[in-house]
Amino acid sequence: MGLVPWYDGRDGMYSWIWRHLPGNGWVKALISLVLVTAVVYVLFQYVFPWAEPLLPFNDVTVDNQ
Amino acid sequence: MRSSVKGRGNVAATADDTAQHTHASPPHRGRRRPGPVAMVISFFGEMLITAGVLLGLFVVYSLWWTNVVADRAADRQADKVRDSWAHESDGGERDAPAVYDSKNGIGFLHVPTMSDDDILVEKGTSMKVLNDGVAGYYTDPVKATLPTSGKKGNFALAAHRDGHGAKFHGIHQIEKGDPIVFETKDTWFVYKVFGILPETSKFNVGVLAKVPEESGREKAGHYITLTTCTPIYTSKYRYIVWGELVRTEKVDENRTPPEELR
Repeated sequence: MGLVPWYDGRDGMYSWIWRHLPGNGWVKALISLVLVTAVVYVLFQYVFPWAEPLLPFNDVTVDNQ
Repeated sequence: MRSSVKGRGNVAATADDTAQHTHASPPHRGRRRPGPVAMVISFFGEMLITAGVLLGLFVVYSLWWTNVVADRAADRQADKVRDSWAHESDGGERDAPAVYDSKNGIGFLHVPTMSDDDILVEKGTSMKVLNDGVAGYYTDPVKATLPTSGKKGNFALAAHRDGHGAKFHGIHQIEKGDPIVFETKDTWFVYKVFGILPETSKFNVGVLAKVPEESGREKAGHYITLTTCTPIYTSKYRYIVWGELVRTEKVDENRTPPEELR
């Protein structure tokens, strides 16, 4: 099992992650929840604030540039 | 003969597979290796799902989370301004001219037809200023004339339409004749809306001019200009509202608002 590449198996990387989490179903679910929360935190705290000025949704001023 | 060997091989593989899993799982659920095409499609599909979830989260971030953060920042800064006003009054320095710290807000904007909030006004229209859920007065490309200066000119402001406090979200609810009140430490400046430009180019700097000609006015006066983006949720055009000073009122002990706000 340890030798299978991440894309092996029937259904991709998310099931690969799921299979490699330790513990039984409940523990896996709990760890997944923590992982998802961590990802959302990083996105909201760092990635989106960085990406936002690069996207044209929030310019409100008039200027001559 | 051959077929029987093949059959045995199959059975062995299934038994092996089952052994790796729990004994309860039925043999037909054993894993089989997908072909390369299936793998690529499955990878692509997961990427699409991931992209979709990411975009969804970005919408949640833009329209909800930035408001939470901005409102918090705006409340904190507004409290600071109100506190400093209260302290200056306590100190018995009523006659001293108001000192404006450019880092702090200079006053509050009240537009009852647009929102019930009092909107803190700060210097500058950079994203850094506006993202704190405040309105900013222009310093670039045109310098706004502050009403506190007493000079004729245009008090031009900008704020977000969506996200980051969305202070000018309801700008389309403003109609001609509606009041716009700017509150400073000592004075209520009461303006009346006389011109609305629902859509203009973002390069139309003329709307900020001391005499904004597109509004129909030709003589110098005490004007106020609100600018934000339009249509809602995009930044394609700018929405402009012009007002003209009607009168000023001294702030009394209880900070009784002028009748337009009651």
